This record gives sequence, C-alpha cells and structure tokens, in this order.
Amino acid sequence: MSQLISRGTNRTGDLQPIRNNMMRYMTQSVLTAWAVSAMMPIAVLADRVDYERDVKPILKTHCYSCHGGLKQESGLRLDTGILIRAGGDGGPAVLGGTAERSLLVKRITESDESLRMPLESNSLAPEQIQLIRDWINHGALSPKDEQPEDDPRAHWAFKKPIRPVVPIVKNTAWLGNSVDAFLAAQHEQRGLVPLPAAQKHVLLRRVYFDLIGLPPNLNELRAFLTDESPNAFESVVDGLLERPEYGERWGRHWMDVWRYSDWYGRRKVPDCLNSYGQIWRWRDWIVRSVNEDKGYDRMIMEMLAADEIAPDDHNNIVATGFVVRSFYRWNYNTWMKDAVEHTGKAFLGLTLNCCHCHDHKYDPIANEEYFRFRAFFEPIDIRHDRVPGEPDPGAYPKYSYGKSYKPITSGLVRIMDKELDAKTFMYTGGEARNVIPNQPPVTPAAPEMIEGDSITIKPIDVPLTTWYPGLKPFVRREEISKAEADLATAKRIMTDSMASVATAKNDTQKVVADLTLRVDHMNVVRAEAALKSVLARIHADKIRYQNEPGDADDAARLASRIERMSILETARFELAQARRTLTLKKTGDKQPDDDKGRAEIKEAETKVREAAEAVTKAEENLATESVDYTAFSPKYPQRSTGRRSALAYWIASEDNPLTARVAVNHIWLRHFGRALVETTENLGRGGAKPTHPDLMDWLAVELMENSWKMKHIHRLIVTSNAYRTSSGGQQTSVPSEAVDPDNIYLWRFSSRRMDAEVLRDSILYLSGSLDSTMGGKEIDQSLGLTTPRRSLYFEHHGEGLMPFLDLFDAADPCDAYQRKTSIRPQQALAMANSDLCIREGRLLARRLTKQFNDQFAVTEDGTTFINLAWEQVLNRLPKPEEVEACVAFLSGQTQLYSTADADELQAAPEDEAVPASVDPMLRARESFLQALFNHHDFVTIR
Amino acid sequence: MNRSSSSPHLCVSPSQGRRTFLADVGLGCSGLALGALLNQDGFAREGAETAHVQPDGLSHFTPKAKNVIWVFLSGGYSQVETFDPKPALVKYGNRTFDEIPLPNPTNDPLFTLRSRAVVGGDRPHSKILPMQVGFRKHGESGIEITDWWPNLATCVDDISLVRSMYTTDTDHDAEFQMHHGRHKLDPPEPVIGSWIHYGLGSLNENLPAFVFLGEYKDTRVRWNFDANYLGPAHAGVELSLDPANPLPFGVRPGGILAREQKNQFEFINQLNRFSSIEFPHDPDIRARINSYELAFRMQMSVPEALDMSTETLDTQQLYGIGNETTEVYGRRLLAARRLAERGVRFSLVYLSDYGEWDSHRDLQKLHARSCGRVDKPIAGLLKDLKRRGMFEDTLVVFCTEFGRTPGVEIRGNHKEYTGRDHHPHGFTVWFAGAGVKRGFVHGRTDELGFHAVEDAHYVTDIHATVLKLLGLDPYRLDIPGRKRLDIDHGRPIAQIMT
Repeated sequence: MSQLISRGTNRTGDLQPIRNNMMRYMTQSVLTAWAVSAMMPIAVLADRVDYERDVKPILKTHCYSCHGGLKQESGLRLDTGILIRAGGDGGPAVLGGTAERSLLVKRITESDESLRMPLESNSLAPEQIQLIRDWINHGALSPKDEQPEDDPRAHWAFKKPIRPVVPIVKNTAWLGNSVDAFLAAQHEQRGLVPLPAAQKHVLLRRVYFDLIGLPPNLNELRAFLTDESPNAFESVVDGLLERPEYGERWGRHWMDVWRYSDWYGRRKVPDCLNSYGQIWRWRDWIVRSVNEDKGYDRMIMEMLAADEIAPDDHNNIVATGFVVRSFYRWNYNTWMKDAVEHTGKAFLGLTLNCCHCHDHKYDPIANEEYFRFRAFFEPIDIRHDRVPGEPDPGAYPKYSYGKSYKPITSGLVRIMDKELDAKTFMYTGGEARNVIPNQPPVTPAAPEMIEGDSITIKPIDVPLTTWYPGLKPFVRREEISKAEADLATAKRIMTDSMASVATAKNDTQKVVADLTLRVDHMNVVRAEAALKSVLARIHADKIRYQNEPGDADDAARLASRIERMSILETARFELAQARRTLTLKKTGDKQPDDDKGRAEIKEAETKVREAAEAVTKAEENLATESVDYTAFSPKYPQRSTGRRSALAYWIASEDNPLTARVAVNHIWLRHFGRALVETTENLGRGGAKPTHPDLMDWLAVELMENSWKMKHIHRLIVTSNAYRTSSGGQQTSVPSEAVDPDNIYLWRFSSRRMDAEVLRDSILYLSGSLDSTMGGKEIDQSLGLTTPRRSLYFEHHGEGLMPFLDLFDAADPCDAYQRKTSIRPQQALAMANSDLCIREGRLLARRLTKQFNDQFAVTEDGTTFINLAWEQVLNRLPKPEEVEACVAFLSGQTQLYSTADADELQAAPEDEAVPASVDPMLRARESFLQALFNHHDFVTIR
Repeated sequence: MNRSSSSPHLCVSPSQGRRTFLADVGLGCSGLALGALLNQDGFAREGAETAHVQPDGLSHFTPKAKNVIWVFLSGGYSQVETFDPKPALVKYGNRTFDEIPLPNPTNDPLFTLRSRAVVGGDRPHSKILPMQVGFRKHGESGIEITDWWPNLATCVDDISLVRSMYTTDTDHDAEFQMHHGRHKLDPPEPVIGSWIHYGLGSLNENLPAFVFLGEYKDTRVRWNFDANYLGPAHAGVELSLDPANPLPFGVRPGGILAREQKNQFEFINQLNRFSSIEFPHDPDIRARINSYELAFRMQMSVPEALDMSTETLDTQQLYGIGNETTEVYGRRLLAARRLAERGVRFSLVYLSDYGEWDSHRDLQKLHARSCGRVDKPIAGLLKDLKRRGMFEDTLVVFCTEFGRTPGVEIRGNHKEYTGRDHHPHGFTVWFAGAGVKRGFVHGRTDELGFHAVEDAHYVTDIHATVLKLLGLDPYRLDIPGRKRLDIDHGRPIAQIMT
C-alpha cells in the first residue's frame, strides 16, 4: 500500500488510460525548457494577481487531492510554486510568462472532457482560469520558502496520542484541574481573560441539565446554595453521575452518535424495511451500559461483535443493535454501505464512505480499502432470539419479493455470521451492479495508514446453546409448561362437557353435548400426545447434544415416532372437530334451505374430507422409521468468522490513534456545546482542525488509562474551572469578546438551548408528572404530548419524529453526529398552544399553590408565590422589575377571568384531562406558569 | 410584499455555524448591533481558503419568478395517457417488443443505464398496451393533450411541456427522489423547497416561506418537504385546510381566551426583554423575542391566508369548488394561490393521495377518475393566475415521480391485464408562468414513449430550472463539508425559458 503516496505511481488500473493520454499530451506540448531564474519581489504583484491569495486556494480546492501530498498523479505536484514549475512526468506545468503554452492552462481549458482537469467535475470558472493565466503571464512567481503539503500519514489524528505535558501557566489561581491548564495556556497566548465563576444557582442548573437532563428541585437547589463546604459542587456531581437519569441523558447522546432508530420503512403497511423490531433492547443496553460506566472500549466491542465475544450473554448480545440498525431489507449493499460508513464515522472519525467510489480525496485511504473494511461485515445476517417469558419470535424470514414483513414484537434481534465464506467483490462508481470482472474478492482489513492491515482474524467456535438455542433450559421449561397448560385446559374443557351431557334437557341438546364431549376427549388425547412429544424430543436432544447417556439414534427415532403420533392425534382431533361442525350444520334448528346454508354445508364437508386425508397421511407417516424430529429452535452455524471481533478489538485498542479522541471529542461537545474538533464525524485531513490539540490528546490518554470509563472524563470536565465559568451577562469583559467572539477558546461558558428531550422531560418533571419508569418497548409517537415517560422511550425512526421533539431539533435518526439548534416561530406556537404545556402548567400551578399553602401563612403576599415559581422553574429569584411584571400579569389575568363571560371561560373541550381552574386567582397562576415555560431563561442553559 | 435587502431570513438554523443564526425581522425591539454580530459570525473553518457565504436572501442574479407552486401527483401518471401521445402503441397494440419493426427498447443501453432497482424482481411488460384514451390538438400551439384533461387542454397555450424526463428508481422512492434529487440507495439531499427557503427566505414574515398542502396517511410523504442537512428551520411547514388546525400547534387551545393568550405573549416578551438587558451578548434572546411576536402574528395570518370565504363564487367555481369531485384539490390550489399572493415562496401542493396514480391495473378507469379530480382545479389555477397578473411572478410546476410502461403489466394471476408498471425511463412534466415559454413542447421520447431520447432530463434539471427562474445558482448554495455532485445541481432547461 505504500505506493499509494509514492510519486507518479498509479495504483488503480482503470486510471491508466488517462495517464497515458496525459503523457502523450505532455510530450507534444513541452516546447520550451523555460526555467524560473529571477524571483521578483511579491510586492510587485500585489495589485495584480497574488499566488498565495488568488491562485493557491484554487489549486488547493481543485487539484491537490491528485497532485499534492496525498497523491502525485503523473508525478505531478501542484502544492508549491517550485513543484508546479518543476512539473511531472510530462515536464514543467507552467512556463512563466506564457500562460497559453503552459501545460497547466492547456489542461484546465481542454475541450475534451476526458482530458480536462479537474477530472470528473465541472471545469474551473472562467475567472479562476483567468487568475491562473495572469499569474503565469506575470512570471508564475511564488514565495521561496513555501512548504509543500505535509505527508498525509503524518496528520495529527493518525498518530497515536501521547499524553502531553500539562502546560505551565501564569494564571494559576484559575486552575481547577489539568483541563484548565490547557485552556489557560490558550487564553494567555491569545490575551483572553476568563470570566469569573458562574453564580451557584446558574452552575447547579447547568450541571443538572448536562448530566441528567432535568432541573434541580427546590430542595436540591436550596441545599446547594447553603452548602459552604469546599467540595459542595463535587458532591453534587458525584450524586448526579450515580442517578439512573444520567444514563438516560447520556444514553440519548450516544443514541445520536450511534444512529439509534426504531424500525421503519413502511410503517403504515406495516412493513419493517429499515432497522428492526425489538431494537429497543439495544437502546436499553445503551442506557444500562452508560449507567454502569462500562468501559467505552467494551461498549464498542459489544456493539460490533457481542455475538462473538459474549455469545451466550442475552443482556449484551442486543448491543449488536448497532449493526442491526443499518439493516435494509430491500438491499443488502445498502446495509453494508451504512455499516461501513457509520462504523467509520462513529468510532474512528473517518469518512470511509468517501472511498466507496474512488480513493479518498484527503486521507490516504484507497478505494480498495473501503471494500476490505466492508468485508468485516460481509458474512452477517439478522437473527431472532427467544427470551424468557416471551413468545418465540420465530426464525428470521428470507425476503420474498413484494411481500411485507411486520416487525417482530417479542424476543430480541441481533447479528450473527451466517455466510461464513461470504466474499466481497469490488464494484465501481458506488454502484453495486458494476462488479469489476475477473477481480478476486478482497480480504478483510482496516485502513493500512493506521495499521489496520495487520488485524489477525481467527474463527470463533460458537457455544452449543448459541448455535442451537433450543437447548437452553428456559426454552425447555417454557415448552413443557406450555404443553402442560394446554393439557390442563383440555381436561378442564372435557370436564365441563361431561357436565353438559349430564344436564342436557332434550334430545337435540344431548346430541350436541355428546358430540362435543367426543371432540373434547380427542382434544385431551391430542394434548397428552403433544406433551409426550415435547418430552421425547427434549430427551433425544439431551442425548444427542448434551452427553446424556443413551443411544442418540434410538432416542431420536423414538422422539420422531412420538412426534408423529402427536401429529396424528392432532389430525384426529381436527377431524372430529370438522365432523362435529358438519353434523351441527345438518342437524341444527335452521335447515339449510338457502344457497348460503348449502354452501356452508359444502364447505364443512370439504373440511371433513381434508381432515380425513390429513389423518390418513399422518397414519401413513407412522409406517416409516426416521431420526428426524422438530428442533426447538433454528440451528445456526457452529462457527463465526471472527472478523467483527477482530475489527472491534482493533478499534477499541489503545494503539488505535482515533478511537479515544473521537470519544472525548463527543463528550466535550455535549458539555460545552462545541467540539474540540468541530467535525465530530471526521478527524481526517478534510475535517476541522482541533482547537485544543493537546487537551484532546490529554483527555484521550486519560480516558484510555482509566479503563475507558466515561464517568471519569465527565467528572474531570464538569469540575474544571472552565466548566464553572460564567456564560456572561452585563459583566462580560469586552476585550475577550473582541478577540474571540465565538468563544472558541472558552473564556466563558457558552449558553445554549435545551435539547428537545430535555425541554419536554423537564416540563413534565417540574409539574410532578414525569413517570420515571425506565426502558421497554418504544412508545407510540402520537402519545408524546400525553404520556409522561421520558422522551427517549418514544418511537424515534427515519420515517418521522415526534412533531414536538422535531420542532426543537431532535436528532436525525440517520445522521446526528452533531445536532443543530434553531429558533423558529413554530416552537413558540408549540410552547404556547400544545396540550403538554397548557396541562403541565396547570398542574405545576396547583402543585406550587399547595406547597405555598403548606409553607406560608395566608397573609403572605403574592410575591412569595412568584418567588417560589421562579425558583422552581428558573432556579433563581426574580429581580424587582420582574416581580413587578409578574404581579401585574397575575392581577391582570385574575381580573380578566373574574370579569370574563362564563360561557367563554367554559369553552374548553369536555375531554380535557386537566381543565383550567374556576378560581380566577388560581387560573391566573396557571397562566403564569404556562408563560414561565416560555421564558427564554427556562429553555436556555447558561 | 417587497422585502428590503437588509432583512435576512425569517429564521435560519446554524447548519454550519456554531452560533445560532439570528432571526431579525426588523421589529427593533432591542438595541443590539445585529449587523456587527453577524459580521463576526465566522462560518469558515480556520484555514479554509474560501469562506462559505451564508445566503442573504437575495437572488444571485435577476430572477424571473418570485414564487413557485409545485403540484405533485403521487404514484406516477402515465405519460402516454396524459401528455405524450404515441400512436405506435395503438398500431402495435398487443404485440411484444420483439414482434414489431421498432428496436426493442429493453435492449437499448439506456435501459440499464437509467434504471436502478432497489430490490430485484423485474416484472415483464413487453406486450404493448394500446393507449387507453384519445388525444386531440388544442390551442394555437396545436399541442396534443389527452381527452381526460378537457379543461387543462384549454390552457395548453400557456404551458411548456417537457416530454423527455427520466428518473432512476423503478419504485416509489422515486417520489422523494423527485423532490431531493437522489436515488433511494444514495444519501438524500435537502428538497428543492428547502434550498429555495435557504437561499431566498420569505417574502412575508408572517407566513412560512415553504409550505406543504396535502393530506396523507403514510408519513414518508413528509420526506418530500424534509430539509435534511439544511436543518428543520428550512423544512416545509404543513398547512391544513381544516380551519380547526391550519398549522401545527397553530391554534389557541379551546377554553383559552384570546385576551388571556395575548397577555401571556406580551408577558413572555416583557420577561425576555429583561433578560436581553441582563445578557446583551446572548444572540438567541432577540431571535426568541422575534419568534414569539412572529408566532403570534402567524397564528392570525395563516387562518386568514387559508380562509377562502372571501373569494368570489366565480373564483371558487373556477377551481371546481362546490363540485364533490374537484372540491378538495380545488381548495388546495386556491389556497396555494392565496399563499403565493401573500409571499409564500414555495408551495408543495400534493394533488393526489399517496400513490393514487399507481395504476398497475384498471388504468383506464383509475386514470380517468384521477384526471377528473385534477383537471378543473389545475386549469382554474392557471386561469386565475393569469387574470390576476400573477402569471408574471408565479411559476407553476406540474409533475409526478415517473411514467408508466408502454407495455402492459403482467403481474399475479389476474384474469386480464389492464395496467402499466412503473417506468423511470420517460415521462412528462410541465411548467407554466413566470419566465416560461407558452405553448411549447420540449424533448421527445421514442416512438413507443419508452426512452427519453431527445433532450433527456434527469429530475434535478427541474430543480435547476426552478432555481434559475428564482435567480439562484445552486452551486453557490452548497454547504461546506456536504459534497454535492453535478447531477445533484442539475442543469436548467434553458429551452423552455423565455
């Protein structure tokens, strides 16, 4: 693979013709061996065309990917003036002073599209071409000390992070922990002065929303405000990290990154095409793992390959939901494509998807390496597993064209290796139809530039009860008890029938009762045979698979026979049933004298005939000997390729330069609102530069050295002084604002709006409505405004989001490496008019009124209630002018309700769950709290 | 309705800036130097050689259209029974492609080049199904139009037909492809309405700039107005003609008094202004205050815009309102005209049920019925726009996701085969109004109506045409880090433009 960056070597055969053309072209055009000798001072050209300002950006954007540090097609580099003049295989690319004779100009103005540069895209704009012409005509000058592009392999993110020395800074007073030192170093370098610490109530609110996605309650707020101990904040942080709501909050963040989606496709049909039924178990795994502080490395391994590293572990096998999520029933290539793209982006911060059609334009990753990465996933398939206490979801169905598939609603869904010898063939143009003929399949490997080609893959033996899960004790227990219950029911029915025979009042009744008794007796025989069959098959399984003493073939023959007996008894029972139906039709009160009646009799006769045939067939089947009997589950391959676990170990290794960096970058983003590398899904050369490279590496090493525990990183970050800094206000220091208005260097905390889920959950929480039940099957979106569960438990999928959450920029289930935040009038309408805000505002008003009445004397003036409400909703006390406004609002609303027309006041829908209060003062308070939910300071975290 | 050049978008999501882009609707409720903040808001990454320029709501060049009414018929109407008559189908009816003296279109390289099945299982359709309806020449242009469009036929001198469209999906995801430009197997792009919203913003601050008018049960229909990576602020806003619920959360809940809510809104903004004094550097406060003022006005403006009771009986009848068959679609198009009049940039009018035109069987009956629902309203819209002088400002686009096979569809064990299958290789759309030639036909399919053979256009060429008429260059709207290919930008159909 090293030839990838060696000069002038074409790696891929299909580019050869282009290169040949270019060679021919160049030979014809090399006319003058013009050499640059004189370097005029750059200043001379300042009013004309400037290489650095005008030309280099064009070349960088359009040419460097093939003629720069990454690749040197035709031996040509265009990343410095000297290299341009030196040219490539065809000679100098420019001849100073003669633009029209320069190869560079000829190639960018070529009329033949197959020769015109840049290849496979539109030609440069006329003004760009003119700039290049002018530059050449003015001598093609460039700075002498111009540096060529760095070796792409030397890109910072492709080298293993080494723990940097914590910088020594002047502002030692500001240092809380090492995180601060890295930030302070930047502050000092840039002349930034961090703001003072945030007020305590602001900080508490900030950290509550950050860590658990809910506000502090009044007791928590007041306790913190009065706690003068030096570690008061640290204690709060420790407490929050132990709360189950932490897993819900941060689990939701990781659900964004890992693209959590419930099943979708054609939900109205329903037809599950994308993701899968029961994938909510993966969501619950995420929340659980985050709460348990499972190592991030382990999480990656389980998500990619729990079936190989923990095959018998029901609780963790669902982690492979990460791979299931990209499932697309209609097209296997799409599944593979998404698995490659999002494994690359989520864990490695690499845009492997760019190499689907061609070599990467920025990173040293070849087209072929895309397919080698895909090969890790090539053998996979979906698998349904039964779980204790739930119906068997059955086997994963093979797709049949035009059929729709309902989502499974029991058991679990997971990944397994199905086609152990599945081959990955390269195709061109990102189009799976265009498989390159006569090219052998590729073998699995990760990008060579980060030593992914050295991954060793060893096949893994799958445990017995995993490849044949029907052997699991719970399956047997449940199968036996199901058969026993069936038998008990049959017996009870028969007992009832006997009673009916005894109490029959006339002949007709007696005939019917006798018939029924006979059928019910047959049913008992059937159920007894079925139970025997279960027991015999279990017995045979035990001998065959689990070393119980006995002859496996004998036991199998017996089980086979008993099962066929059971089938026969079932057939006999069904025949008896059919006969009974026919008899009743013929002897019933209504004689069949119309077409419908005759048709029914005919149908009943057909059923009897068919049932009789089934009996005959079942009897005939008994005549043969066989060792075949029905297994208690599908049997799966006894080996797994080991490909995905090898990949997972490589990704989750401390030697991988990207994994830990990507993780801490995501964590940082969600604490501070801005990532250290803004392009969280791309740490490659085309991504953003890190704002604090040393800090990023320090945190990455810190994560790895602390067993990849994320709570440790959270604690470090939120207890830093940087995190405790004020977000500003009137005291904002103007100099820093001018130097760094976007606060890239974190001289203050950046305030931001609550995430959609936090907003919805907090409203429910404040009013006391929030149901803290964790986990379980996804809840219907349409119940979003009325069912008070946390938002992450509602259906979230690629077909459409819960409208309320969607309005507040909830995660795109297909791509949310970073969320957007918008401010829109429709949000105001949702806050003002939704059932949710109206109802919860009322409930909160009543809750606070009760609290107020319990705590305060009736003589207390209205200000106390206002204070209480502000403390509860905004976690601070109102300022005098705010109190004044509130008093005026409350009295105005009270007045309004006191004088409003009664009919008008009672125009509310009858089915309203929480109608407005009839007491004008209480109703004013309801209106007041509804308004407070709309306060910018409520939805904003400062 | 003219917006001042200093007024940026109603609302913009920071799809590439960290900081929330400020919504400024010129309400002057805070003394902040907005311009200064905006200027400081760097979108370019450090070291990036060319900074991306956030659209300022102005056209890149002189526009010919101000707004667009985009009419979509879901399911795929048959080109050969609507706008593209093919006598050869009658001549060679009931013979297979191999039994006629024309080249077999399925042997043409275009057949595989231009279609890409998401899932395998091609259905046979090689036996030619004769045209199921007659065509007649109309107007001075003499353009042939199906007998199922008697009203639209009278407008033929006002429209430009493009008979050479193709798409690439053989199944109904082509519908979403028509709006965002990408095949199902490729990652979707923002839809055309969202690009326009992003590029031009609104002409009326009290109404959304991009609306969807229609009804559906299948929520995937929402993909047709999904802004994708431009962010939900640029997504289409669903308006409903149900006066009880014209826009999501857009109605004061029952039992809440008008004065009560007005007081609430005023109180909220009063409190937020206190905060804006406390936090002068919080860029979001002003946007929030504006969004509330706007929301309050939107709650009034939307019902007004959708209230058709002020339209004369004559106008209502023009759209087929009052007639059971045409009532629903007539109201939708009349609403679209009212919205265009009030400055809504892009109305996506869904003039069918989801998949309504998908006539795998009984094409004659089903197409005739669906044409009957659409014909009068769409003709009414064109006539109404003309008589109001809106034809100079408003562009009407009329399209579907793909055409239907010239051959009969053989599927299942039906007694007789009476329909046509999905056909991405050739279909017809039309344009009318601002900047568009009148009574003009562009492009051609082959003799069977199978392949677009002359001036073939992929669906993004429609987008490019619309953007061009609105004065936008799609390349200049590109977002850093979001690679768009030339085919995503499309090429304007210059031949149909005036």
